[in-house]
Amino acid sequence: MPPKKNNFFLGPGLRTRAARAFLGVGALAVLYGIAAEIGRGRLPDRIWLGTHYVENVQLLPPYRSLLEETAFLLESGILLDSVAVSAGRVLLGFLLGGALGILLGIATGRAARAEYLADPWVTFFRFTPALALLPLFVLWFGYGEGSKVLLIAASVAVVTLLGAHQGVRSVPRVYLEAASALGASPGLAFRKIVLPAASPQIFASLRIGLGLAWVTIVVAELIDARMPSLGYLLTLAGAYPRVPTMVVGIATIGALVLAFDLLALAVHARATRWMRRTA
Amino acid sequence: MTAGDPPRLRLQAVDVGYTYSGRTATQALETISLDVHDSEFLAVLGPVGCGKTTLLRIFAGFLRPTTGSVACDGSVVEGPGRERGYVLQEDAIFPWMTVRENVEFGLLARGVDAAARGATSREMIRLIGLSRFEEAYPKELSAGMSKMVEVVRVLATDPAILLLDEPFGALDAQTRARMQDELARLWERRRKTVLFVTHDAEEALYLADRIVVLSPRPGRVKADFRVDLPRPRSLEARFSPAFSALKRQIWEALG
Repeated sequence: MPPKKNNFFLGPGLRTRAARAFLGVGALAVLYGIAAEIGRGRLPDRIWLGTHYVENVQLLPPYRSLLEETAFLLESGILLDSVAVSAGRVLLGFLLGGALGILLGIATGRAARAEYLADPWVTFFRFTPALALLPLFVLWFGYGEGSKVLLIAASVAVVTLLGAHQGVRSVPRVYLEAASALGASPGLAFRKIVLPAASPQIFASLRIGLGLAWVTIVVAELIDARMPSLGYLLTLAGAYPRVPTMVVGIATIGALVLAFDLLALAVHARATRWMRRTA
Repeated sequence: MTAGDPPRLRLQAVDVGYTYSGRTATQALETISLDVHDSEFLAVLGPVGCGKTTLLRIFAGFLRPTTGSVACDGSVVEGPGRERGYVLQEDAIFPWMTVRENVEFGLLARGVDAAARGATSREMIRLIGLSRFEEAYPKELSAGMSKMVEVVRVLATDPAILLLDEPFGALDAQTRARMQDELARLWERRRKTVLFVTHDAEEALYLADRIVVLSPRPGRVKADFRVDLPRPRSLEARFSPAFSALKRQIWEALG
């Protein structure tokens, strides 16, 4: 069988994945429409919030009001501006945290003793909610842009540190010995053996980190909360409360996560195209 | 060298013993003494677990003998060295490199420039009939072919001595026979000193000039056979009476 060339960026696997994502989202949208139709006139439109009633809540807003809301958010420029600003923060935090995490992960993975020191701390911070770190970050890094980006960076760094650390640790001994027997210096072995062997785990952790960055953005944008930003849009929608705005905001973030994940997947597939895939 | 001179000594083990430390210390080798001469193809034959891999790893410089000493060209082995090419028992082809990059790796480590690396790798890959796969990743190769890539990856650096650890152990009988032919052909073209470890008596007979039989653990040298079958060996050789007679003797020595 001669080696076959493939379009890795949008190979068959990815195209199927994209199609499946559309199908899945579409099916959910149809179900939502049915539920909203059934709920019309049956769901309460007054909700007790502990101290007062909110009137005219649309618990499951029908498509018409969602479309109206989307049209309003688009025409006013709020939605696109918010997407641009929040995506910018996500990307900046992701790049910063990804780079930091990978560097630290490689360093702790390489230093045999550093593992014992770093390992409990990684586990310790791994599931620390961003919301818990928020006040600390504001005190440390100020009430502004820096804290937002750093909060995202921190959550990304923890997972990429773990991925890089484990990737570097689990390089099979046989490759290192074969390289050494072929005369490779430690530097060459690091560049040509350790890094590529660890790359699948590093890329997998970057993909998780990118998703996590979007999870963190809503919390991070509670700091110095102002428009335009998707996080503040959702916070405002919750404060009113305005359910159509919430739904549009959540759907927008979901769509962005899907799009970014497809991109991450394409990069991952390209970077690990040498790997044997199990069907 | 004149006809009467004894061939030069390349590898020498003197009273080598090796014990793996751990919760239960395992003595892999008792006391082994072994000489490998220049351009000799020596097979070390023994049952699974007799310490033959341990012996090879000591020669390769990845293990230090617990007792005794090992020398290469007269100097004590301290670690891996460029004059000794080592093919591991496990699959050690680098899966993230193309066939060409794999074959060129040892040359890259020696600082050979790209043009010279390309010339050598093309030649090596052609020798094993994989020219079409130069730019393919190892996942597209069969197990036998990727092992041959590992062999020529070592040959590309032109080491004086080849240490081969059951390179064809994981292959089916037919593929294994084909790979043995390939290896014999390569060896006849560029004679090297070869130390070949195997548990397969027929493989040892087909390839080697001399066979050393090890006892079960802890390994000791049990018998030493000279194989005077004519080269190049072929299918005829495998079924010749001389081959069968030697095989019987070896089987008896293996016990």
